[in-house]
Amino acid sequence: MSLADEFSRRRFLRAAALASAGLLGSGVLSGGERLLAATAAGDPGDPEVPNEEVARILKKLFGDRPIRRGRVQLDMPAAAEDGRVVPVIIESDLPMTAENYVKALHLIVDFNPDAHLAAYHLTPAMGSVSLSTRIKMKRTTWVRAIAETSSGEVWADYARVQVTLNGCG
Amino acid sequence: MGKGIGEARIRVPDRIAKGEVIMVNAIITHPMDTGFFRTAEGQPIPAYFIKDVVVTYGEQEVARFEWTSGVSRDPIISFTLRADREATLSMVWTDNKGGVFRQSANISFASA
Repeated sequence: MSLADEFSRRRFLRAAALASAGLLGSGVLSGGERLLAATAAGDPGDPEVPNEEVARILKKLFGDRPIRRGRVQLDMPAAAEDGRVVPVIIESDLPMTAENYVKALHLIVDFNPDAHLAAYHLTPAMGSVSLSTRIKMKRTTWVRAIAETSSGEVWADYARVQVTLNGCG
Repeated sequence: MGKGIGEARIRVPDRIAKGEVIMVNAIITHPMDTGFFRTAEGQPIPAYFIKDVVVTYGEQEVARFEWTSGVSRDPIISFTLRADREATLSMVWTDNKGGVFRQSANISFASA
């Protein structure tokens, strides 16, 4: 998939999510949206918090701080044939100076048995934010890459990955 | 422990200029068993995974990673480092059974 395709896919997903959020604007909240409202404010196009476990993780890590979408880029394949080995790239244009830096990046895979898959504690000595790794995924789900800055801001990006072969057992 | 577990490699660029932000690539041999699988004979395979990685540059801890068994077998991690001085880059991987594995690479600058 080309980069342009990837961007248009993201735009489509985002537009679709925004449209469905609009339809729900009449006061009917899904369970996930209630969970999200109970944890931290997000953008309308963000993936719903699917269960108590992810809600608990977000609450524990970020309290009531808003999780804003942007400044972080999570790159994953739209479809992963083998859930045992799914590539992940996380980048950010947030500063990495002594005064203000990304102190932690959290990788959360909504429907994995251990949803809070990894935490990366960073320092300004790294010079920039660019991490890559390979992870296991149990099934099709949203993946969340959430950065916390030394000044307390929380920035996120999300990717929905379709998984064919369960990589978690 | 199985053969090769804990063997690690760190790769840094061949030529590094002072102050450059470089990419560091590290890999370690480890099964990263989740505890959810069974052997062909039906015996459960216990969880066995690296849970903690510490990256030190000279005397300074520059990064620390907390992992779960959700990281793939033979974990790779790539990250950036601002190479502002000549020093040893060390990594220590610790698993949930107390295994501690070390590897290091030299950050040195190409002479002009």
